[in-house]
Amino acid sequence: MELNIFHMYPDLLNLYGDIGNVTCLKKRCEWRGIKINIVDFSLGNEADINCADILFMGGGSDRGQNIVYSHFLKYKNDVSNAIEDSSVFLAICGGYQLLGESYIDANGMKIPGLGVFDYTTESEEKRLIGNIIIKNKLGLNPKTIVGFENHGGRTYHDYNALGSVVVGNGNNGKDELEGMIYKNCLGTYLHGPLLPKNPHLADHIILTALKRKYDIKSLDVINDDLEYAAHEKVFELYTNGKV
Amino acid sequence: MTPSILFGKITKFALNIVGMTGTALPGKVAMIINPDLLLILNSRCKRKVIITGTNGKTTTNNLINHILNSEYEDILSNLMGANMPQGVASAFLNNTKKVYDWGIFEVDEGSFPDVVKYIEPDYVVITNFFRDQLDRFGEIENTSNIVYEAIKPLNTTLILNADDPMVSNFKDLGKKNVYYGVEQTKFSSKTQRVVESRFCPICSNNLEYEYFNYGQLGRYKCNSCDFKNPNYNYRVSEIEYHDDSYHFKVDNSKGQTNDVIFRYDGIYNAYNCCAAIAFSIEAGLDMEQVVERIDNFDYKLGRMENFEFQDKIVKIVLVKNPIGLSEVIKSISNDKRKKSLLFILNDNPADGTDVSWIWDANVEAINDIDNLTSIHCSGIRANDIALRIKYSESSKNNMEINDNMEESIENVLREDVEIIYILPTYTAVFLTRDYIMGHLNHTNARIPRIKELIKSKIGT
Repeated sequence: MELNIFHMYPDLLNLYGDIGNVTCLKKRCEWRGIKINIVDFSLGNEADINCADILFMGGGSDRGQNIVYSHFLKYKNDVSNAIEDSSVFLAICGGYQLLGESYIDANGMKIPGLGVFDYTTESEEKRLIGNIIIKNKLGLNPKTIVGFENHGGRTYHDYNALGSVVVGNGNNGKDELEGMIYKNCLGTYLHGPLLPKNPHLADHIILTALKRKYDIKSLDVINDDLEYAAHEKVFELYTNGKV
Repeated sequence: MTPSILFGKITKFALNIVGMTGTALPGKVAMIINPDLLLILNSRCKRKVIITGTNGKTTTNNLINHILNSEYEDILSNLMGANMPQGVASAFLNNTKKVYDWGIFEVDEGSFPDVVKYIEPDYVVITNFFRDQLDRFGEIENTSNIVYEAIKPLNTTLILNADDPMVSNFKDLGKKNVYYGVEQTKFSSKTQRVVESRFCPICSNNLEYEYFNYGQLGRYKCNSCDFKNPNYNYRVSEIEYHDDSYHFKVDNSKGQTNDVIFRYDGIYNAYNCCAAIAFSIEAGLDMEQVVERIDNFDYKLGRMENFEFQDKIVKIVLVKNPIGLSEVIKSISNDKRKKSLLFILNDNPADGTDVSWIWDANVEAINDIDNLTSIHCSGIRANDIALRIKYSESSKNNMEINDNMEESIENVLREDVEIIYILPTYTAVFLTRDYIMGHLNHTNARIPRIKELIKSKIGT
């Protein structure tokens, strides 16, 4: 068995340890004897998006995102088809915003997104920053997903959310929802190394990609004591008695 | 004595009673009573230099102090690394005189505008801009922009790192510029995993690098416009490492060359030395005097500080961002002695509340360290750093995880090794240091723990 992970624009979109997610997927596959090919997709290193089993896109600075936007627009149909075809896509922060219809910056200027999805993101001056804990709507056990968020944008959409906010802000700080789910595409504001401390989510991504490609039903069990200890610690430190 | 100074002193006295040396709190109190305290300080220093940037501020500050001390007696400085406005004010409360020859202050990038509102620096030294504390500053471009805008109205000389494109573009401000940098040496590399900014700050196109020395510091040029490293006024070259020291040459644009010895690890220190040399010569000292002072420089306060404990050496190295951690791991791999590591990862406000940065560091380089007996992980986020190490595939080493810092320090001191490296984040540095000093002096080591607790609450 093998999987192709397309790391989208790793040189331009890697603000808060996003690379940690790719490292996590790679190691968790290798520990189970699943071969992983990582394709760094970027300017000057374009590859056929049809070959991707998992697409990963991180966040970036405004400047990084602008460069990506003008290049990525050429691949809008390919990305759209891949998502409709149930490819796994994990889009974080800037990547999540970029897949939407538009981004309205703090001055009211409308910056078009790729338009793969019809949601919009509006920027506000106050950034939403801090530890975040959500309850996932993917049916994963444990229910909690822990992470850190740091974004000026507020995203509003009618898709299913990735989770409900327990601690933190999520999509917009108002409706207590975080992220989005469409087929096997996940968007989220939980930036950077989301997957290492959430091995159930990491394995969900791996298993979904493998199911689509091969006829398998489950993954080999590996020792996740350390992963869940880190998960529990965040929960213990930042729930403040909630839940 | 003005009321603000008086109240600051009272706070300081009270903190001393409870066993705290309190680096920033007295200043905080005094600033609340009189936010213009920094103005008084400004008028009492004949000449002033501010050191800002992401990495190397404290080292450069300590070096400059040490060098200038050979010429001047009355120097006011925040040597303890408390680099927000209240930290600068605290330095003054520790030492109130009518007149100082020099005020030497390290100032955090985010606090820079607040400090220069009151203090008019004759010189500003800018070390570098790396990703650090993004939970405070948002993005790295914002960080450099905050400093850039604040320098605009100042009448000052800029001492600029020519090798950092994010710093050298400060030449556009049209101030008097002095450039320092480090030539390609055998420590340079052709590739760099952690590159903070690969875009031209002028036209946003890709920068092309001939070599990297450290992060995005190296020889760069833009393919679209004429942006490239400015010519050096002060230049380090021919770096060698032997006898536990770095040996290199430094020259200035007048053609003088001197040999320098610096007794601490890390290629980033070549930049810190060069910045300190450039500033000191510009400030009127002569080269021989400066070089001699660097030779006999001793680190203070947890920046590569060395202790002898029983038959072992204990080194404390502050780590706080991906580039710093990557470089420290790289320099430890130059040390062939039998060793143990202790990482202490905290997420208090002064450490940065976001610990994501550990995933951007090249922790995989732990695999290049020889004779590594054990790795200990501690601090509030002990599990996070342990997890990072697990995914670097260095799990073949013995790993001990314990979020109780005292116990972790005790345990690592018991290891049968020649040298122990302790890598704490900011708020853990002081505890680590006090605790080890406590061991050396056989005094009660519980006091530091109380200090640590208070410190984490007030976020100094």
